[in-house]
Amino acid sequence: MSNEPYNDVVRGLFEAPAHAGDLDGAVMAYAADQGMRIALSARLSQGNIGALRFRAWGCPHFIAAAEAFCTDFEGRPARQLADFRASQVMQTLSVPVEKTGRILVLEDAVRSLGQSVRDGSDPGQGIQ
Amino acid sequence: MMTSGNEYLYLDYAATTPVDKRVAETMASLIAIDGDFANPSAIHIAGRRSTAHVEQAADRLATLLNCQARDLIWTSGATESNNLAIAGAAAYRAIRGKHLMTMPTEHKAVTDVFRALGKCGYEVTWLEPDESGLLDIEALEAAMRDDTQLVSIMHINNETGVTQDIARIGDCCRRHDVLFHVDAAQSVGKLPLDLTSLPVDLMSMTAHKIYGPKGIGALYVVDRPDCHVEPLLFGGGQQRGLRPGTLPVHLIAAFGRAANIAMDHMAGDFEHLTGLRDQLWRGIREVRGIVRNGGGDASFPSILNVSVDDIEGESLLLALEPLCVATGSACNSRNQEPSSVLRALGRSDELAQSAVRFSFGRPTNAADVDFAARQYRSAIDRLRALAPEQPA
Repeated sequence: MSNEPYNDVVRGLFEAPAHAGDLDGAVMAYAADQGMRIALSARLSQGNIGALRFRAWGCPHFIAAAEAFCTDFEGRPARQLADFRASQVMQTLSVPVEKTGRILVLEDAVRSLGQSVRDGSDPGQGIQ
Repeated sequence: MMTSGNEYLYLDYAATTPVDKRVAETMASLIAIDGDFANPSAIHIAGRRSTAHVEQAADRLATLLNCQARDLIWTSGATESNNLAIAGAAAYRAIRGKHLMTMPTEHKAVTDVFRALGKCGYEVTWLEPDESGLLDIEALEAAMRDDTQLVSIMHINNETGVTQDIARIGDCCRRHDVLFHVDAAQSVGKLPLDLTSLPVDLMSMTAHKIYGPKGIGALYVVDRPDCHVEPLLFGGGQQRGLRPGTLPVHLIAAFGRAANIAMDHMAGDFEHLTGLRDQLWRGIREVRGIVRNGGGDASFPSILNVSVDDIEGESLLLALEPLCVATGSACNSRNQEPSSVLRALGRSDELAQSAVRFSFGRPTNAADVDFAARQYRSAIDRLRALAPEQPA
């Protein structure tokens, strides 16, 4: 049994989250639960996700998961936001099962973001 | 440059200390064929040579504590000493009464024993600390009953450094004919302790907090007819049957040597640690929302415990690397629950979970502390910049 709570991927994403920040005039979503908080912002371009940014308050796995999501989904068709599953990122990052609820907060935020995109929400309007 | 020369900076000396090289030499000299490795219970020459090392170690520890060497029982560490003192004394005095008292701010090696006794017919009163972490002596006095048999209060708190007035607590216990046990894992070898004059009946201690090895501790039991402990282990009859098992001569000798060295360093260490703690606090006290946990006058200087507003503790710990610090006590740092010690001091769950315990040791220097202060400020800034604003 490993004594190391974070794998190298988690450490890398936590230490250098390239997608941390906000996008002006973007579609936004916010979720908070389990003591975690996350805001996502997406800039769309012809149905694709041109840019993704996040801000997060939570444990290293949660922050790494947010960064992993942004890295993975930037450039993909916006409709694929509905395909995001917490279970996938949990496997990649070896997130302990007791933190499942935290990663589901990210999943909630991604779903909110996808809904906002589908609804054509005004850019910059927060979704809660 | 980090003192250890390692890839990390160790600031977790309240959890454990490295073995002093002189102590390591003592230990190494006894374990191989050319050392005095024999079972000290044996009556042959080799056994008698081992016994001499055990007796010398007991004398050294007794000198540090100003007590009788015969009043010391060797154990595997403070956890076992606490168990033996509390459960053993409670059992011995059970015929007189089953009321016991302690505080929720004690180490788990104490609180868990009391919880276990609470399930076995004993009644436990949990004395709440004041906001600085200290026991209110008047509250202790008021809680005394005719059937009270034991009070257990730690000397220096392992999370906050808060130092209890064990002389006054012990006086109160003596007035009521109640045994007084002190978990002194953090204070033996660091503060002067005179067990000949202190009203303490039982005291737990361990070697690895004073640059000795892990796996060896001791329990002081005052030599008085009404103070005794029932054994928890059986088989062999060593140590008057109170704690059987072959004595680990090399560990005991090492503990004695560490105690001997601690006497020489005590005053200098105190001054050194005070300077380091104050330097670190000066370096981080301007951080927005920072509070000291148990940082009053009655706080031992090897520990600085701080919490900060709106920071997630686990991320803070990772962002602080390569600092090796603790969130709560090392024994339960994998537990996600906020520290019960900090909760008892009135800290909210949010503040308690952001707590960081810096603890310093003999090898720590001013450059280490400067680095730690910069790392702490930087980690807080980075995590705050990452956090989302809460929507209105």
